[in-house]
Amino acid sequence: MDARGMCVLAAAGLLLAGCGGGGPEEAVTGITVVTWRPNSPATWDRAIEMFEEANPDVRVELQTGPSSSTQLHDMLSQRLRNRDPSVDVFVMDVVWPPEFAAVGWARPLDEAFGPGERERFFEGTVEAVTWEGSVYGVPFFLDAGVLYYRTDLLSRYGLEPPRTWGEMVLAADSVLRGEDDPSLYGYSAQMAQYEGLVCDMLELVGSAGGDLMEPADEATVRALRFARDSLVHLEGMTPPGILTYQEQESLELFASGGAVFHRNWPYAWALCADTAGSEIAGNVGISKLPSFPGGETVSALGGWSFGISAYSPHPEEAWRFVQHMTSPEVQRVFAVEVGKPPARRALYADSAVLAANPHFGPMEAVFEAAAPRPRSPLYPQVSHRLQSFLHEAVGDSGSRIPEMARRAADDIAEILERAGG
Amino acid sequence: MRQLRTALPMMLPAAVFLCGFLLFPVVCTMVNSLYHDSPLTGREFCGLDNYRRLAGDDQALETVEFTFIFALSSVALEMVAGVLIALAISRVVLGRGPLRAVVILPWAVPTVVAAVMWKYIFNDQYGLLNYLVYGDSLSMYRAWLARPATARLAIIAADVWKASSFVALIALAGLQSVPQQLMEAARIDGAGPVRRFFHVTLPLIRPALLVALLFRVMDAFRVFDLVFVMTQGAPAGQTSVMQYFGYLKMFPEQQYGYGAAVSVVVFAIIAALSVLLVRTVGRRGLVE
Repeated sequence: MDARGMCVLAAAGLLLAGCGGGGPEEAVTGITVVTWRPNSPATWDRAIEMFEEANPDVRVELQTGPSSSTQLHDMLSQRLRNRDPSVDVFVMDVVWPPEFAAVGWARPLDEAFGPGERERFFEGTVEAVTWEGSVYGVPFFLDAGVLYYRTDLLSRYGLEPPRTWGEMVLAADSVLRGEDDPSLYGYSAQMAQYEGLVCDMLELVGSAGGDLMEPADEATVRALRFARDSLVHLEGMTPPGILTYQEQESLELFASGGAVFHRNWPYAWALCADTAGSEIAGNVGISKLPSFPGGETVSALGGWSFGISAYSPHPEEAWRFVQHMTSPEVQRVFAVEVGKPPARRALYADSAVLAANPHFGPMEAVFEAAAPRPRSPLYPQVSHRLQSFLHEAVGDSGSRIPEMARRAADDIAEILERAGG
Repeated sequence: MRQLRTALPMMLPAAVFLCGFLLFPVVCTMVNSLYHDSPLTGREFCGLDNYRRLAGDDQALETVEFTFIFALSSVALEMVAGVLIALAISRVVLGRGPLRAVVILPWAVPTVVAAVMWKYIFNDQYGLLNYLVYGDSLSMYRAWLARPATARLAIIAADVWKASSFVALIALAGLQSVPQQLMEAARIDGAGPVRRFFHVTLPLIRPALLVALLFRVMDAFRVFDLVFVMTQGAPAGQTSVMQYFGYLKMFPEQQYGYGAAVSVVVFAIIAALSVLLVRTVGRRGLVE
């Protein structure tokens, strides 16, 4: 640990000492960390081992919850609502901190995670853990939507990666006509009625200059019409099941050679490149998402941070663990072994990280500019309303989008006004 | 008096169990439904406001509509299918035991497991149904769970597959109580198989069928797991049912009061239907 780290730690100790931190009489303090079920348990185990070696006075118990963000939220919010003291540290999805902060479940970390340290992380990730001027978490890794494409197919037809959504549809159309393969589709993305749909549509709508929180806005309606008529309901452009696809199904289609273009998070890169599970290894390119003419490309910001429970009896030990998990060393391990884009900027110049993830270099600007989803302690309600609106808007070929959009906008305004209930 | 003194302590365990595990949660939910209760705003008494909001909530009303469609059509199909299955296996003599075990299998499979299986059957890329209907013409494959009408049918089909065996089992028990002499007498009087069924068998197994009907109606109205696993209410909330709506309000959205109100409404609907069923069909069934 460097001198700076010691300073931060000392500050944290002072800050938290009055809150019942582990007394000197305890030889070993156990802390409980709640996280989603990891794809890479070995990496987690190693990160925890590293922590326990450096902190022999703390023992970490890792509790893994469901891998779905919504279900992990169900579980965590139940425990925190009942002021469960057996949760010390938890992971937070990028959309949770406003709720966890406003309700008082997450402990403010303003002094421990000071302004100087915050600058070392991407601005968007720090903003995501900030609520009403205080920070409630430390960013772990981030996610941002990117476009994958088949380099072999594009070069066969002399095509460049598309800059606009229209170009993408035309390019896909040329490939589909040339290949004449009924099992090949133009585009694969996440359009089931769930949180991922909000991300995908935030990108489309944002790149037209619209705003999801203004569903009745003209640019928003234009983007949704495009998604409905040129993506979902254009024969051959997307598979018929696109409206039931989450990340896994859409990636399976692309990795089995079933789509020319694919929208996903950065983790898909390693899986596409893996010859064991992918039939397109070596033929995959990655680029920024397209935009509409005159608009800017928009990537939805995803990712996770670590928070400390307000009911934790061991905040000092918990902070040491959070500090460890978000340190450059551990973020490097997760980037190299699991392909998670680090939330710390400096790691994008790190040779080990770039060697394992050559696409991180060109994608850094995308990560930097990733757009947050609407920020509200009532996000779960807003999101459910948006999901049902968006799914019908793009799924029903005869949908009357402006009318549905107005109803959705009214409902969202009502949700924000009622503020709970 | 002395009898009462001995009886009271003996009733205590059952009374404690009933109150603690049945009455207490129901009353608690009813009380909760009279509060605005979310972690963000705290708990505040609001009278019948949650019910007023529910009555004006379009999304809630849509789930009520589909819950009724689901419950009525799936229970009707299950009753018919169950009786047919029971009639068929009651005639089998050889291998009756194993056959019955096979018939009850769908009922023994946990609903969540069955729902995952049906989700795969209806899958757009590698689903069994597409293969059976369209064979190798991949371009014809349909996404059954992506369109409102087929998604609704899919959920009903999964429930019929699973619950018909329950009805069959109960009907089979009823069939065994039909005296052979009555059937013989009807046959001698010249009644054909259809007539024998409607005039002899059906009236005699009616009490058994009523029990099955009651269970199925109650079960169908509180359907949750099929929807949760197969569609999560998609497309656009068209397959959302009351219990799933209540779950969304209660857990992901943390509106405990509103979610409780939804539960109470589901409870009231089921209670009313059960009383209605017992009063009408039940009385007629027992009198005849």
